[in-house]
Amino acid sequence: MTASTETLHLQHADHQAHADAHGWRRWLYATNHKDIGTLYLWFSFSMFMLGGTMALGIRAELFQPGLQFWHPEFFNQLTTLHGIIMVFGAIMPAFTGLANWMLPLMLGAPDMAFARMNNWSFWLLPPAAALLVISLFVPGGAPAGGWTLYPPLSIQAGMGMDLAIFAIHLLGLSSIMGSINIVTTVLNMRAPGMTLLKMPMFAWTSLVTAYLLIAVAPVLAGAVTMLLTDRHFGTHFFKAAGGGDPVLFQHIFWFFGHPEVYIMALPAFGIVSQILPTFARKPLFGYVSMVYAVCSIAILSFMVWAHHMFAVGLPATAQLFFMFMTMLIAVPTGVKVFNWIATMWQGEMTFETPMLFAIGFVCLFTVGGFSGLVLSIAPIDIQMTDTYYVVAHFHYVLVAGALFSLFGATYYWLPKWTGQMYNEKLGKLHFWWSMIWFNVTFFPMHFLGLAGMPRRIPDYPLQFTDFNSVASVGAFCFGLGQLLFLYNVINTIRGGAGRAPARPWEGAHTLEWEVASPAPHHTWEMPPDEALVKKGLRAQLLDQDHE
Amino acid sequence: MNAVAHGANRRTAIRLGLVALAMFSFGYVLAPFYDVLCRAIGLDRARPEFATAIPTALRLEFDTNVADGLPVTIETLDRVVAAKAGGLVKARFRIANTGDQPLTIRAIPSFAPVRAAGLLQKLECFCFDALKLAPHETRDVTVVLLVAKALPEELGAATLSYTLQPA
Repeated sequence: MTASTETLHLQHADHQAHADAHGWRRWLYATNHKDIGTLYLWFSFSMFMLGGTMALGIRAELFQPGLQFWHPEFFNQLTTLHGIIMVFGAIMPAFTGLANWMLPLMLGAPDMAFARMNNWSFWLLPPAAALLVISLFVPGGAPAGGWTLYPPLSIQAGMGMDLAIFAIHLLGLSSIMGSINIVTTVLNMRAPGMTLLKMPMFAWTSLVTAYLLIAVAPVLAGAVTMLLTDRHFGTHFFKAAGGGDPVLFQHIFWFFGHPEVYIMALPAFGIVSQILPTFARKPLFGYVSMVYAVCSIAILSFMVWAHHMFAVGLPATAQLFFMFMTMLIAVPTGVKVFNWIATMWQGEMTFETPMLFAIGFVCLFTVGGFSGLVLSIAPIDIQMTDTYYVVAHFHYVLVAGALFSLFGATYYWLPKWTGQMYNEKLGKLHFWWSMIWFNVTFFPMHFLGLAGMPRRIPDYPLQFTDFNSVASVGAFCFGLGQLLFLYNVINTIRGGAGRAPARPWEGAHTLEWEVASPAPHHTWEMPPDEALVKKGLRAQLLDQDHE
Repeated sequence: MNAVAHGANRRTAIRLGLVALAMFSFGYVLAPFYDVLCRAIGLDRARPEFATAIPTALRLEFDTNVADGLPVTIETLDRVVAAKAGGLVKARFRIANTGDQPLTIRAIPSFAPVRAAGLLQKLECFCFDALKLAPHETRDVTVVLLVAKALPEELGAATLSYTLQPA
């Protein structure tokens, strides 16, 4: 016992030394999960701004038919980079950042399992982002064949493609290490008394997401490595001229790509499952079914990849299999939506900004889910493939889904991070502004897609003009509104609406609210005692034995 | 963190790292095994035995419509016919003028799917000419089709539709 106490003291001294690092050293050498979480979140926000600016470039060109601003080649570079940056640079790191910040606090662990690996996971991201940006300025420009990098275009493209491939290698490595860290932390470092089926839902969804990433990020790394060797080292994986098969790339890519969809959706489910009970002042409805739903979505996600390839020409048997498996995912997703609504049912709801974003998420994600169900029907999908209907669908699940949950999470935990309350009026304005302009931007895209407008084109026939103009106006308003969010966050860091108590939301019962606000640099160096853990579990009705 | 916990973390991390490595090779394994797998579970349409297989029958469905406001009815007497490769198909329809005026009408034919048109040759059709109908006259008309000798495997069924319009 004495020995271990001594080590604790020694470690404490060691930690103090870290905390004392100031200026750039604090961030470059960061091993503290909160510092690294902060780095992830700022990085992903700046990527969100970069990818968003590219989106505005796209919408500016599409405001009117004809070519106004860009050459078609550059337009295609914009759509490609916008996709890659938003998926790998904005949404994924934001969830990893949240997991870094919140998991140790929620589980009662002193830090993430591998602090130095954590540092490396983060610091691989800025070079990857730099490679993507540099690719715009090399001969031939950035990759322009879409974020899915299908051959033959990706084999024929200029050196920008090589930079993108290396960027994806770095991003993949970062994701894999980040995920190993998350799984290890969740599995091995929970406070005594917190068994797996008593964890907060955000911990569950982060765990399952991390497993998915460990399983599929290497598959993507393999696919782009094959592209690289096809391009430069004489292999013929995907080159038809040498006996390769371009369709094979699509199989491998979507074997990664479909679980990737849930990598961006599951953590959002977790966040919403934290926020809704807090502001409905009721425990989460159907906790265990939520866990099973998350797990079954994850397992099913490996068996549906070819629904992205209906138009490629699959045998009817394969089309039917992938169509039915895809439709099956609606069942666990339906369970989740039902449980969220049941959580709010007869709750004492209040509508602070995090709650607004969570409810907005439930409504709009369901719309995106339904358009996904429409697309899962093979004969309809063959008609809709590569039209704006698909663009509308995935922006409903990724913007109103993943992004709205991230805004909700930020407002929810900002008092814990900064120790100050954010400006509620501005927060609500940000929500309603985003909600309205999001729909103005993306709802017309359903109509455009149904009318046959293809995606990834800089010019279009005249009959598509009206809806495109509406979408462009919506996009610029939506984009400008995000500056409100930035202002609100900075303002909160600088004092905001006054000091936040340790538990600013009286309906919140998870462990992160048991530490002071702002969360001290080191928390749970001694695991929380079992009575404290039990108290929180009792409030969430998780103290019974349901395992 | 004590030594026991540290060891457990290391073991978990190594296991997960191995999973990542295995999945990296999985993509490469797909390259040679993708074709083999498809053939093994019978999902490969490019198999030579499929290419030469000649299905014996094509399901033909007949559909009829009447333009708005036209006082005419049309009834399909043979709704569904099994067409043998290389055989003749005859389908009968009953057209009636329900109005008190004599009428001249024409049937506009169409096919779904379109490629079925190349497989079915119309020898005789009531759609070739305009039809003159006296008030309250009922008349039976026919379509005779010659079916191609080889039918593609995946076609399965074709629909022929006739819409009656004023001539």
